[in-house]
Amino acid sequence: MALMNGAQYIESLRKLDTKVYLFGEEVKNWVDHPMIRPSIECLAMTYELANDPQYADLMTAKSNLTGKTVNRFSHLHQSTGDLIKKVKMQRLLGQKTASCFQRCVGMDAFNAVFSTTFEIDKKYGTEYHERFKKYLEFVQENDLTVDGAMTDPKGDRGKAPSQQADPDLFLRIVEKRADGIVVRGAKAHQTGSINSHEHLIMPTIAMSEADKAYAVSFAIQSDVPGLFMIYGRQSCDTRKMEENADVDLGNNKFGGQEALVVFDNVFIPNDRVFMCEEYDFAGMLVERFAGYHRQSYGGCKVGVGDVIIGAAALAADYNGAHKASHIKDKLIEMTHLNETLYCCGIACSAEGYPTQAGNYQIDLLLANVCKQNVTRFPYEIVRLAEDIAGGLVVTMPSEKDFKSTVKVESESGMTVGEWCNKFFAAAPGVPTEDRMRILRFLENICLGSAAVGYRTESLHGAGSPQAQRIMIARQGNIEMKKELAKAIVGIKK
Amino acid sequence: MLVGVKFCGGCNPRYDRGKAYEAIKKELAGTAELVIAEEGGEYDFLLVIGGCTNCCASYSQYHAKHGPIKMWDEAHMDDVIKKLKKQEE
Ligand SMILES: Cc1cc2nc3c(=O)[nH]c(=O)nc-3n(C[C@H](O)[C@H](O)[C@H](O)COP(=O)(O)OP(=O)(O)OC[C@H]3O[C@@H](n4cnc5c(N)ncnc54)[C@H](O)[C@@H]3O)c2cc1C
Ligand code: SF4
Repeated sequence: MALMNGAQYIESLRKLDTKVYLFGEEVKNWVDHPMIRPSIECLAMTYELANDPQYADLMTAKSNLTGKTVNRFSHLHQSTGDLIKKVKMQRLLGQKTASCFQRCVGMDAFNAVFSTTFEIDKKYGTEYHERFKKYLEFVQENDLTVDGAMTDPKGDRGKAPSQQADPDLFLRIVEKRADGIVVRGAKAHQTGSINSHEHLIMPTIAMSEADKAYAVSFAIQSDVPGLFMIYGRQSCDTRKMEENADVDLGNNKFGGQEALVVFDNVFIPNDRVFMCEEYDFAGMLVERFAGYHRQSYGGCKVGVGDVIIGAAALAADYNGAHKASHIKDKLIEMTHLNETLYCCGIACSAEGYPTQAGNYQIDLLLANVCKQNVTRFPYEIVRLAEDIAGGLVVTMPSEKDFKSTVKVESESGMTVGEWCNKFFAAAPGVPTEDRMRILRFLENICLGSAAVGYRTESLHGAGSPQAQRIMIARQGNIEMKKELAKAIVGIKK
Repeated sequence: MLVGVKFCGGCNPRYDRGKAYEAIKKELAGTAELVIAEEGGEYDFLLVIGGCTNCCASYSQYHAKHGPIKMWDEAHMDDVIKKLKKQEE
């Protein structure tokens, strides 16, 4: 099959029988559900732009497996140039959607599983790598979206998987059969899971022998028996359910999505199993996936940041404050922070290296520095955006008020809409609706639905801040730095 | 004269690459035909339209009789047009 476009992708979802629960009920037609649809439209952009010559250079790549042109989201990075283009593609999509476009976790999982299975096979004589290559060819050929699922619910954070009171709190193998395995458990916070044709499962932490039943990696179609999803609420999500919702959404086209994905004794055939009890490789897989995903944020968050900076600058224009020197300086600061994140994304890509399997891995230290900055800078960027925009971001009446023709019982005889438009007019020549739109956009990204992707995901996605600090400590090469200092000051030993 | 056009991926372009393409195409109407480059196609020239100084589009997969002409700034449009017009003469 050739590359799908956005409409074909959306139609392909209708063929799935994925079980989705939202507000305690099963949602049969989730493709058209107003709370879910914006996240589907968002993911559809990864298909749409791949068909546009103005973006195809970033959005597509030549598969090393088949020689065919594939969507870059299902590509195995063949060079540092590919790693750089990945980051650029993510920046582009962030710019075009101002949301989480959900397809990166799958791409990062493909690359991590590809290289790890090669090394498992080398040690144990297993055949995971060949299986995975066949699986990825299938994904590429059908241009599928795959959820890269790592995070378990984890229960008591102080205990290992096998020590949990409820053994299901980490996903595990409950039965090994001649033709496959049966798994049980869940994956939490899964980005784009409902919008994914398939799920690629990985363990969530490094493991010891006692945890070997939890050392499992496999791929599965999203609508198999026993697999279901419970939709994650987002701040202000029910605004999407309001009739003719538009301005108040802030972003009326696109959004992100997370869900709890539950496996209630799901059978996985052998040809889709890529790790089965090789607990000594769980840490490698986690580290590689997390490394790629920490690189990813140096692209996607930057693209969203570009839109936020543009919106803040427009808010200043519309408020009539754009000439103030501190406003200009704040826009400079936002740009500086945003481009610093991009520098990190590009740097860890440019310093990438080939794995034993042949695909390229990012530089781990720089990717962790990238993500550590991502846990901070977007917060400062939205703080500055709120500063520039003013308090109206959180106190503005609704779109319905602005459009209301209801006459207020007062001397002037004006309508609610006329009062709103009178008192929320600012710079000359700027329609109040335009001002509303920009302020609502900023509300959405600073503390509405989109804050899920821009703020909390920046903090916890791909691992909480402390996880990067552990990696930075490991990779920081302090001993070499001590030697440098000794050499400069003349200490011999 | 057939000119294959390859765009960069447009992650942070400093000008509207699509508009630049349309403008060059219009200016060269009757002199050169500009089409989006495809693998396997044979072109007289390849025009690479980048969005910034990095001009990072890959183009080694396309066949053109003469080397690529690259642009990454709106200000390069005149030069591109002149170069292609000169080739036709
Ligand atoms: C919006 C969003 C999207 C996401 N998308 C995906 C996805 O698509 N796929 C996926 O696999 N995952 C995804 N994640 C999950 C993400 O990787 C986790 O949120 C992250 O690893 C943190 O885990 P947690 O949320 O369970 O927090 P916790 O692990 O509970 O962390 C909370 C705090 O406790 C600390 N802590 C936890 N355990 C310990 C310990 N043992 N010792 C010391 N301190 C500890 C942490 O450092 C942190 O400060 C997503 C998360 C978010 C928020
Ligand atoms: S040429 Fe510049 S704008 Fe275009 S994709 Fe490359 S880096 Fe981005």
